[in-house]
Amino acid sequence: MDFNDSAEEAAFRAEVRAWLQQNASDYTEPLALRQGDPRIAEMGRSWQKQKAKGGFAAISWPVEAGGRGASPIEEVIFAEEEGRYHVPVGPFVGIGINLAVPTIRAHGTPEQIEKFARPTLLGEILWCQLFSEPGAGSDLAAVRTRATRDGDDWLVNGQKVWTSWAHTADWGIMLARTDPEQAKHKGLSFFLVDMRSAGIDVRPIRSISGESEFNEVFLTDVRIPDSQRLGAVGDGWKVAMTTLMNERASAADQSQSLPDVESLLAALGEQGRAANTRQLASLYAREQGLKYFGLRQLTRLSQGGNPDPISVMSKLVYANLLQDVSALGLDALGLPGAFAGRENHEAKKFQYGYQWSAALRIAGGADEILRNQIAERVLGLPGEIRSDKGVPFSQLPVGR
Amino acid sequence: MNFDFSADQKELADHARRFLGESCTFDRLRDNMAGEEAYDRSLWQQMVELGWTAINIPEAQGGLGMGSLELCLLSEEVGRVLAPVPFFSTVCLGAHILNQLGQESLREQYLPPIAAGESVVAVALMPGLGQLEYADGCASGALGPVAWLGAADLLISRARDNHGTECLVLIDAKHATVARRNIDGVVLDGLVRHGQAEFSATPARLLASGDEARRLIELALAQAAILTAFEQLGGAQACCEMARDYSLERYTFGRVIGGYQAIKHKLADVQVEIELARSNAYYGAWALATDAAELARAAALARISATEAFTLAAEENLQVHGGIGYTWEANCHFYYQRARLLAINYGNADYWSQQLLAGLQAAH
Repeated sequence: MDFNDSAEEAAFRAEVRAWLQQNASDYTEPLALRQGDPRIAEMGRSWQKQKAKGGFAAISWPVEAGGRGASPIEEVIFAEEEGRYHVPVGPFVGIGINLAVPTIRAHGTPEQIEKFARPTLLGEILWCQLFSEPGAGSDLAAVRTRATRDGDDWLVNGQKVWTSWAHTADWGIMLARTDPEQAKHKGLSFFLVDMRSAGIDVRPIRSISGESEFNEVFLTDVRIPDSQRLGAVGDGWKVAMTTLMNERASAADQSQSLPDVESLLAALGEQGRAANTRQLASLYAREQGLKYFGLRQLTRLSQGGNPDPISVMSKLVYANLLQDVSALGLDALGLPGAFAGRENHEAKKFQYGYQWSAALRIAGGADEILRNQIAERVLGLPGEIRSDKGVPFSQLPVGR
Repeated sequence: MNFDFSADQKELADHARRFLGESCTFDRLRDNMAGEEAYDRSLWQQMVELGWTAINIPEAQGGLGMGSLELCLLSEEVGRVLAPVPFFSTVCLGAHILNQLGQESLREQYLPPIAAGESVVAVALMPGLGQLEYADGCASGALGPVAWLGAADLLISRARDNHGTECLVLIDAKHATVARRNIDGVVLDGLVRHGQAEFSATPARLLASGDEARRLIELALAQAAILTAFEQLGGAQACCEMARDYSLERYTFGRVIGGYQAIKHKLADVQVEIELARSNAYYGAWALATDAAELARAAALARISATEAFTLAAEENLQVHGGIGYTWEANCHFYYQRARLLAINYGNADYWSQQLLAGLQAAH
């Protein structure tokens, strides 16, 4: 057991630090922009290009895929050091690099991998994820956006929702129903959608924060060539599972714009700390436990092991911790904190953490779905009783 | 970075789990509680033969010369089956404290009998459990409740000398001037026999005093916190497995109760707490093994997390069992009561929370 950097890891960390000092000097202060501001996406694009030029865009990817061929541990070292700056990594890393590209690499044709993987790495393609629908959230396989065959193309009609960065994205990964007469999970296929296609209408959703992190996307007779189908017709669910596994693994990534326990300790002051000692210690132990849990999983991956099914707990724990920390921080700051404006970064962290944690408990696998997964895949308890099993999708009852 | 135990260490743990799983059954625990012996002597003897009492003692003193990582793993297995033996006080604390002593003659005298399984040690380090006064080679006063004090060969205790200075003394617990007894009857956890004793001018060896005594005590408390965390982890994991197994056997409303979300989500939460506690305990193990600067913080984190995990796991295990869980036969009570005992022992959650926050503030 060795918790310190090895000699090679320490050398890599020093190299990363020096490079960031040279290249990330524009990002020492928090960005004073609203969530979803297109300028964030453009800054993300140029940061991604800079990283690619420096050889840090896909650290643990194989060299032949355009990566550095380094270990997952070095990937984390870079993220730790990058996390000291306020770089806008979200739009590129969160969707394109963490979700779209691993899915394309796992299921795509050589042409698809060539066309999409490397350009994404280089900051040329910004992605969005067209999965959820008004009637398909936790029950994602219930998507009803319909793709029908039309010669060499598919015609797509339907509505997607909760789509981050759809208003700036170049491409989207989409789950759609190609055969409603099959049972729910069997009639789905997976597509890569050019977001500039005719018939796509993107509308921002105003969220509880008053800002627009998400969009709804309406698709009307959108034409998609069959060459942009990822995986076989009817294999959409299998392909989407790759995306979801990656989403749950990365959704607990923490950001500089959200509060941690240390910022809570500072906000509370000496009196507040004394009055909440036990709760604070418990929150801090959860935060640190989560960090060391990540390192245990990383050790497993770096030794060639598969992701542990328990690893989905990271997002479950983090979202709830963020909610608790943010609520306690707002309580401590009182009305001046609740009514602090954008210039007060510290207070804003707690406001935004309180709002965003509510989204995070639902997004990328709701708390309840993750608890089911842990119970079933880790503890071996029975699956849920399913009244939709084996029933053609078109025959399933629908409510509102 | 490599945040895991080695293959050899895991093999040691697997072996320990198999051995204890076969030899330390619930029926044996019930027999032990009904019997006269303070601890399970034949189980202890088997552990001695496996070398467990020698594990952290240097080879020069008849030990195996292994480190604290092995001790962490054995503690987890002892905690899993609630083995009624003085392993924690003798090996985890007694041998550890004696190992730290500068005087070779003391180590030469007291460590070999521990390694050979001939000496059981009770340790009294926490304030508020009586007081010993030390002067001119003798100790007087009263202590208790202290684990295994009624059965131990040696006692290592905190004391105060006639200048009021903190010191650490070693006493022959069987000496004629020690009036001791086991605390029996209806107690929270009858498997860890606690004793109390009065000392009247009992011969005592001074191990350390002043700053050196405080340093040894602080180190021993960090060791106690991290190894207790592993013991708690073993208990928590056993509870989770026990509840899971029962939920797959028990039917209500026409199906196994393990299929209901009320049970699934409860047990998922237990498993999550265990994983968090395990992660903090591993960090503690690393800090202990490398004598890291972060040891105090790591000890507090490990202890706070493990107490939360074992508490939840033991409570929910009994709850999942329903009414039968409240009976003596159903075994849930062993863990339920041990979870509380370990939550209290060597600093409760308030104590470690204060330690943790004080450390964090000092770091700023």
